[in-house]
Amino acid sequence: MSRDCLVEIDNVDKTFFTRHVLQKDEDTGRRRLYRVKAVQAAHKIAFRVRRGEIFGLLGPNGAGKTTTVKMVSGLVKPDRGAVYVDGLHVERKRLQVLERVGVVLEGTRTSIWPLTPLENLTYYGNLKNVKGAVLKTRAVELLDFIGLREKMNIQVRRLSRGEKQKLAICIALIADPPVILLDEPTTGLDVQSSRSIKDKIREMTRGQGKCVLVTTHDMHVAQELCDRIGIINRGSLVACKSTEELLDIFSDQVFEFRLDRRPTEGQLAEIPGVRGVEMGPEGDGTVMEVTVAPELASRSEALYATVQRLQDEGFLLHSVSQRQKTLEEVFLSLTSKN
Amino acid sequence: MGFLLVMKAELVRGLIIMRRYWFRTLTGMVVGYTMLAGLIYAVMNAGQSDAASGLAEKMGNPEGAITWALGFIIGMFAFGIIGMFTMGLQQMAQNGQLEQLCMSPHGLVTNFMARATVGSVSSILTSSFMVWLLAKTFGSTLHFYPLPTILLLALTFANLLGFGFMVGGLVLVFKQTGQVAVIIRLGLFALAVAATDKIAAWPPFARWFAHALPITDAAICLKYVLIQGQYMPVVDAQGAAVLDAAGAPLTRFVSVFAHPSFSFYFLVANCVVWTLLGITCFRVMETWSRSKGTLGAY
Repeated sequence: MSRDCLVEIDNVDKTFFTRHVLQKDEDTGRRRLYRVKAVQAAHKIAFRVRRGEIFGLLGPNGAGKTTTVKMVSGLVKPDRGAVYVDGLHVERKRLQVLERVGVVLEGTRTSIWPLTPLENLTYYGNLKNVKGAVLKTRAVELLDFIGLREKMNIQVRRLSRGEKQKLAICIALIADPPVILLDEPTTGLDVQSSRSIKDKIREMTRGQGKCVLVTTHDMHVAQELCDRIGIINRGSLVACKSTEELLDIFSDQVFEFRLDRRPTEGQLAEIPGVRGVEMGPEGDGTVMEVTVAPELASRSEALYATVQRLQDEGFLLHSVSQRQKTLEEVFLSLTSKN
Repeated sequence: MGFLLVMKAELVRGLIIMRRYWFRTLTGMVVGYTMLAGLIYAVMNAGQSDAASGLAEKMGNPEGAITWALGFIIGMFAFGIIGMFTMGLQQMAQNGQLEQLCMSPHGLVTNFMARATVGSVSSILTSSFMVWLLAKTFGSTLHFYPLPTILLLALTFANLLGFGFMVGGLVLVFKQTGQVAVIIRLGLFALAVAATDKIAAWPPFARWFAHALPITDAAICLKYVLIQGQYMPVVDAQGAAVLDAAGAPLTRFVSVFAHPSFSFYFLVANCVVWTLLGITCFRVMETWSRSKGTLGAY
């Protein structure tokens, strides 16, 4: 594992077993006295997260995202494979790994509600081996960083959901760990709180060089925030690339040309490199969708040829834009295939 | 060092919550004292019905009443410690704090040990005050011998902690223990109230079973030291009590360490066994719970 890589998940498997008494069998419709069902939450999951990187884990409900995060934090023991944090094997050196990891799981529940944010940070700081003047200074700095300085002496039960979530992030950061694990950090938050948390996550990685592994359902958050994305479906990692690569690879390379008039039949036939031409729906007759080859050289040639043909035919070209697939479309496409 | 740091954190947390909810703390003590005093008074002055007369005879003297009250308080102490490992653990799983404790580099065992220590010290202090107040109210006397009392309290706590770890380990894996935990707590409570050195007269199996349980010898020893003041009645060869010139039963000082029932040594042995068994069981169950993925679940 390279020194730059803080988290390495090496072909981990995890299966959970659920026991059912007198449950109806879906296939036969008959009730069975006792049945054990196996659910594979992780199957040969393997990826790495580098220092200063935000890695997003996307997947439908029950795909295995939280299980993966819990395996990195040591809360769940993998059946096979290994997880390393900062070069340390999570199972063999668990207590040392815990000094290097900060986790936010269902954040609004983490803090102790009768205590204030400052008291919470002092308490959890001690639990994570931070003490004395270092703890006091760091607690105040974190509350300042996250935007809770004014509320540091108000009991947590009086804070809003977004503020509790922010406090949970501070609790995860109190020991200044190099690795931060965030399980759905913006779920249920309003736009402002969500924006604020995203900004802080960016600051932690770019400004402080931490490595962040974040799970989310929100495609906009993932697309906006993550440097690389792993898509998990039914326990398997179906894609693991940078956000741009993912969008590029799965994009159809469709370009929209906005013209002054609708071309007649045959006017734009047989342009080199163009795979298809479609006109927009009725009432929008001046938009033309051109599908080209995905390879950069062929794509470039096709676009130049199209523009040249339009110029030769006397069209006025108002604009050209690429109709790129959204991350949501890529995600749905990948998870429905599997 | 880690244990002391965690204990400091738990102490600060406990004091903040006690101070912030002072009304709950104060009313808890007042209600506890009133309830106990009322029960003792009612039994001491019970009517002459056949059902009540036997109990009233036992309770009719201040020493009997205070013995009963001390047993009740020891039972509540046991109830509280085991409760921390059952209901407390379930509650921590529900509110997400268990996951954070699991991610403490000190380890879950250290964290629970520190939490139980702080909770128990506070419980001992408030219980001691309540027993002293009850003794004053009913005209009895408590005998305070520092060395045996502190030693006995420490051994009782260690005993219950070990047992609690064992039960807590089961809760980590099986989660909703339901009424099983309640039965265990009530059983310990009843044993604490009823346990006296008269178990020496029980049949061998029952006697050894009682000695094996974590609270029996602790209750016997504490009652002997605090209520009887480490004085035993003097008996003749036929087992009859020897009387002094004034006709009162003669007593002699016998240290709890030299008591013929060997309760103190049973207590020490129990302490070692339950602590080792409890912590081992908890660690094994913690690993099993992580394999099952149920550590933070409820």
